[in-house]
Amino acid sequence: MKEKEGFIDCPEQQMILYVEKENGQYGPIQTGSYITRNYLDDWYLKRRNLIQSLRQQVIRREISPVKFFMVLEDLTIAELSARTTIPIRKVKKHLSPESFATLSQTELNRYATVFNVSADRFQSLNLPEEEKPARETST
Amino acid sequence: MSTIPFQHKMGAHCESGTVTSLLNHAGFPITESLLFGIASGIFFGYFHKNRSFTFPTFILRNRPGDIRMNAEKRLGIKFKTYSFTNPVQGMDCLDELLSRQIPVASQVDFFYLDYVPAWERVHINVHFMVVIGKEDSSYIISDSYFPKPVKVAEESLRRGRFAGGSMSPKGFLFYPLSVPHDIDYTQPVLKGIKKACFNMLNIPIPFIGVKGIRMFARKVVEWPAFARDTEHLSHEIMKINILLEDQGTGGAGFRYMYATFLQQAADLLNKPHLKELSKELMVIGDGWREISLFAARIGKNRDLGTGRLRELSALLMERADAEEKFFKKLKKCIK
Repeated sequence: MKEKEGFIDCPEQQMILYVEKENGQYGPIQTGSYITRNYLDDWYLKRRNLIQSLRQQVIRREISPVKFFMVLEDLTIAELSARTTIPIRKVKKHLSPESFATLSQTELNRYATVFNVSADRFQSLNLPEEEKPARETST
Repeated sequence: MSTIPFQHKMGAHCESGTVTSLLNHAGFPITESLLFGIASGIFFGYFHKNRSFTFPTFILRNRPGDIRMNAEKRLGIKFKTYSFTNPVQGMDCLDELLSRQIPVASQVDFFYLDYVPAWERVHINVHFMVVIGKEDSSYIISDSYFPKPVKVAEESLRRGRFAGGSMSPKGFLFYPLSVPHDIDYTQPVLKGIKKACFNMLNIPIPFIGVKGIRMFARKVVEWPAFARDTEHLSHEIMKINILLEDQGTGGAGFRYMYATFLQQAADLLNKPHLKELSKELMVIGDGWREISLFAARIGKNRDLGTGRLRELSALLMERADAEEKFFKKLKKCIK
């Protein structure tokens, strides 16, 4: 890639790109992220739709908040089990709303820590509604 | 406690960027691309099903930690390393090193770093950065993905360092104890290239190296079966662009950075043919870039029918063929 083709104006996400410079030498330049520059709004749109869909499933008592955050944070059951040190068979049970109601405080805290939310917010089912975009428009 | 004087530098990749910054700080003037090449960083692995991933994915560099360990072995650097089971001990050790004015690399789960914007946050336990100071209850971080040093809250850093799960960081810290002077790069560069060729051509596992690229090409048409809905599939297809370009590769899945290394290696080994190969790899990289842009475009347009995925598959198969020829020539060149 030629140096002049590598520059992307994206102050939100800077990165290093290796390019061919004008003197024929290859080396790094600081530039912006192509996908953030062009498609960040699409990421927010999909994120909002996913949150809304999962929220509705929690409200309809089809899934538990554990499943809500597990899907949102892109974790597998095995990975969530390893991170919380809660056995896989128990994590599977905790994906249903009925079983969620029986969680101990210790288990709630472990999930909340992994999901990086407060235990209170997690327990009270105060789930995020939507995330605001970092900027208003994109091209 | 204050901030240690440390030359912050952005890097293409977190591990090679972190190790390069620490080595430069210790008085060893190496570039990120040269370090990456000597450490045989270039790689490919495709994971169609894995208990740690919710969706098929791929990797483009060798195992996390290998860049540091290969550099240590091939360049004669000595690193001091620490791992912990107890977070209190892990945080105390970090504070103690900082009080001795030692900038120290830390392995963390990227997700817990509060300076990372929402759209970049993922649970990945193998992010590396340099801790260069502490102010009140925040640490000062030189993270090679960011243009300037940043602050992270103590609790966030603790969570990141002691996240569990696959490749758990266990509070891992390292810094260089000693670096060589007057080094002859001939053997480190040769060993680095030989191992990279072996990794790409000869590992007898069907999802690694060039075979892995071919598996990716064959399997990508099956991706819709793993998706919850069209938006999920779009997200995963657009992640091809992120993995190839944004997630610390220097562009085109490390191919541009490795081409830069080969150009440097041509001078160090006095092998002009390596310069020709570096040009060839730049062109191969342009093909990977084309895949990145194609994936971003079809993902955004939700144009994810079988025909489009077959086009993507064909582009990947072309890359596999080109890389097989390239690495065979590279292997022959340094024999």
